[in-house]
Amino acid sequence: MSGRGGPIRWLFRLGHRRPPPDDAADWEIEHHLAELADRLLEAGWEPEDAWREAERRFGDPGRYRSRMKRIERGRMAMRRRVAWGEFLLEGFAGVWRTARRYPGFTVAVILTLALGIGANAAMFGIVDRLLLRPPALVEAPDQVKRVVIRRPTRTTGELGWGATVTFPDFQDLQAHGGLEGVAAYGFPGERTVGSGEEASRIRTVVVTHQFFPLLGVEPVLGRFFGSDDDAIDAPPTVVLSHEYWRTAMGSDPGVLGGTLELGGHDYTIIGVAPAGFTGVELSRVDAWLPLEATQALQTGSSYWRESRSWWWIRLVARLRDGVSVAVAEEEATGLHRNGRREMIEEERYSAEARIALTPLIAAQGPEPSAEARVARWLTGVSLIVLLVACANVANLLLARGARQRREVAVRLSLGVSRGRLVGQRVIEAIVLALAGGAAALALARWGGSVVRQTLLPGVFFPDAAVNGRVVLVTGALSLLAGVVAGLGPALRSTRTDLAEELSEARRGSSGRRSRARDLLTVAQAAMSVVLLVGAGLFIQSLQELRGRDLGLDVERVVLAGLEFRGNLENAEETDLYMRAAERVKALPVVEAAAATAVPFQFALGVPIRVPGLDSIPELPGGGPYWNPVGPGYFETVGLRVEQGRGIEATDGENDLRVVVVNRTMADTLWPGRDALGECVYIGPRTEECTTVVGVVENAARSGFADLDEPALSFYVPLAQVSQPAQGLYVRGRPGTDAETVAAAVAPLLRSFAPEIRYASAESLWKILEPQARSWTLGATMFTIFGLLALVVAAIGLYSVLAFDVARRTRELGIRTALGAEKRRLLGNVVLEGVRLVALGVAVGLVAAYVAAPYAEGLLYEVDPRDPATLAAVAAVLGAVAVAASLVPGLRATRVDPMVALRTE
Amino acid sequence: MTDGSLGVVQGTLELLVLKTLDATGTLHGFAILEWIRDATDDVLLVEDGALYPALRRMEKRGWLESDWGVSEKGRRARYYRLTPAGSKALRREAERWERYVKAVAKLAPGEAGA
Repeated sequence: MSGRGGPIRWLFRLGHRRPPPDDAADWEIEHHLAELADRLLEAGWEPEDAWREAERRFGDPGRYRSRMKRIERGRMAMRRRVAWGEFLLEGFAGVWRTARRYPGFTVAVILTLALGIGANAAMFGIVDRLLLRPPALVEAPDQVKRVVIRRPTRTTGELGWGATVTFPDFQDLQAHGGLEGVAAYGFPGERTVGSGEEASRIRTVVVTHQFFPLLGVEPVLGRFFGSDDDAIDAPPTVVLSHEYWRTAMGSDPGVLGGTLELGGHDYTIIGVAPAGFTGVELSRVDAWLPLEATQALQTGSSYWRESRSWWWIRLVARLRDGVSVAVAEEEATGLHRNGRREMIEEERYSAEARIALTPLIAAQGPEPSAEARVARWLTGVSLIVLLVACANVANLLLARGARQRREVAVRLSLGVSRGRLVGQRVIEAIVLALAGGAAALALARWGGSVVRQTLLPGVFFPDAAVNGRVVLVTGALSLLAGVVAGLGPALRSTRTDLAEELSEARRGSSGRRSRARDLLTVAQAAMSVVLLVGAGLFIQSLQELRGRDLGLDVERVVLAGLEFRGNLENAEETDLYMRAAERVKALPVVEAAAATAVPFQFALGVPIRVPGLDSIPELPGGGPYWNPVGPGYFETVGLRVEQGRGIEATDGENDLRVVVVNRTMADTLWPGRDALGECVYIGPRTEECTTVVGVVENAARSGFADLDEPALSFYVPLAQVSQPAQGLYVRGRPGTDAETVAAAVAPLLRSFAPEIRYASAESLWKILEPQARSWTLGATMFTIFGLLALVVAAIGLYSVLAFDVARRTRELGIRTALGAEKRRLLGNVVLEGVRLVALGVAVGLVAAYVAAPYAEGLLYEVDPRDPATLAAVAAVLGAVAVAASLVPGLRATRVDPMVALRTE
Repeated sequence: MTDGSLGVVQGTLELLVLKTLDATGTLHGFAILEWIRDATDDVLLVEDGALYPALRRMEKRGWLESDWGVSEKGRRARYYRLTPAGSKALRREAERWERYVKAVAKLAPGEAGA
């Protein structure tokens, strides 16, 4: 007996007369009943009686039929499972065999995919936190909304968004019926813990008592603020973050009831927040303070509570169940406008201001941060890198498929179904991809943490770079990559024009080079071009930014601040700053130092009068800005005095009142004239002239964009005002890094006088750096991804050419034998490589050109179609193409004709 | 049920089918039932239809294989035969049946005819 069903089929020549599976049971029962009826007829029964009797003896056919079918179904399911299991095992066995026979190939595939998938896994972790997930531990985050005000901006009249509100605005919204609650929180601030040498800084946020309950968080230890803690005369309390509790206090549960000395006051520790909770924003928080109690303690007056012009807090609200956002917004707008009715009537506030309730995830709201926007683009970019990696793997698979053509042809001819072979290949690709995915996780862990620390230091990531969601996404991407990379080559390598394949293989040369592989290489080159162009544009943006003339020598200047114990007189504070300046100048790394009453990012506007002018023009940059500064200020910060002189030590309390104006002020108030010697009345009620003794170049006050908008700014001697000094500028010697200077200055300042509680110092670039962060992120990531794609594409090109040379061994051997010049052979191969890449570059440049308008918003003053960048990238690709083609080219020249002609 | 005949326990039906096919080779369902009736002198009676779920189960377990063919009378019928696994199962089940019978004989008083 051989084979299944062989002799039966042969015996009865049934051929293919099988019942459809559903009818098999019926046929069988039918047969049985017929045979039974026959027997009864032979025994003498009447036909109808015979049939009835047959059915009676059989039993209820319906019941048996359904039982048979049930068993049959179970059997089918079991067979399917077994078949699947066999199929998968065969796939794994195939992968194992391939790995052993072609270890280099296997490693190349896994590595390439690891790079591609790893890039995506790292990006996903970041994007997840920035764009996808709401802030940690907030209950029912869909119901929690940010409260923002839409109103026309003063300068342009366009509707702008503002998330900052005043305290009275917050109180207005408390009466809202559609909201379960509203809470306010301030911007994160740095406060000093302790004093003197052991002092440290922590990040704190002030919150109203509704904050924690509204977000639905439970304390890990102790409790959160109650309404009594958040009152003006309440004893000061503080809630610690889990991170801070862990690192600074060793997770000691005994801290409850203890105190934290912040800014000279003792705050009682009443609770610890759960791990990972950072409130509503993404940045790190060390401690939360009750808003009203803390403000009352820190500031004497109550302007923060009553003023409708002091914008300093942000609001979150929780919608009541069943209340729609639109309805809630309407009510909120009504309450807001009502509260500001007086100001609207006096035209001090816009009547069109509206309240909007935006999603909790800031990136989904109307004004996503620049980081969020760049992150969105980077997701696309990392997917492109994955595509490039898949293209490479597909290329490698195609090459291997070509080598195994004969084996495949034989298997197909033996009757293995093509579908099965294709399935095997795809499973192999998936297994390799999963292996790549596992490696990718390791890459993502390292890469992800590096990116987070260096490029996104402001964001607090509660999870590790590789968490559950990242693993899931990595797995899914690996599967996808396996299918994408494996399906094409699988289909290709099992094509059924066998005869041609077999005979070609025998002849030792195979007609055309695979066009699919060429296309893939072209595609890789194109994608690399797009990424590198992006990198070039971002790098240029960064350079534009850094190169902007801010007036101040941002690279060399450090800003230091002092914190005092107790309440000092203004004159005492200024005196301490002056002494600090002297002490600091003694340091070897310091070239100059000067104090100021208005440090960087602060501004004080003061009305002035000029004889001969009816009014002072209002400039887009604002002003006039009043800057009391110490002697040597301009030399310290690097502002060029264009006319006259700067502020000097001789400008004392009892000397002539002098002022140095900036270029804009000189040109605006005294156009066409020399400003020196002119008279200015500073302050609303002065009768005394202040004489202009110098004109200095314009300087930025807080950001990169400042110098685009001219502003009136002037400088007076600190000694001649009663305003206390609040900052110390320090200039490092040429060649010293500003951070080094800052590190030297801070400890000196902390200990040089007993009245100093704390001192900090930061380079100006570090202060400005957050404004450049989105471009830094873009430049770094595009460069990394671009180079990654380039390397992968280069490897791909190399493998295509190497394979091509190997394929043409016979032909090359003949040519060498016939006396072809080595140089021509080499040139031939290199030309092929360059041709492929050139095609890819063309496609890539077109794509970059087309996509340019979308990128404009992300760049800084750089033309997205900048020809220099495009040309540079093309050149780089060209050079890489030549480099990648050299080795195969050289190999082509070294083909030994004797060996070549003998092999097939 | 007619006098003198016993209802058949499911497990023994399967044993009977195995024995039948072992002795005969390839049969369709009806023939298997006829053979069992002949061999046991019609003592063991089964409601005809009960045979078929049993055949399905045995096929699922891999003891039988089946194929469609044409019967002597020219009707389409499903034919069954033992697989090597089925032969092994036959030996196992037969052994078990022996032990069962011996055990029952030890416990039950009297013998046939009393």
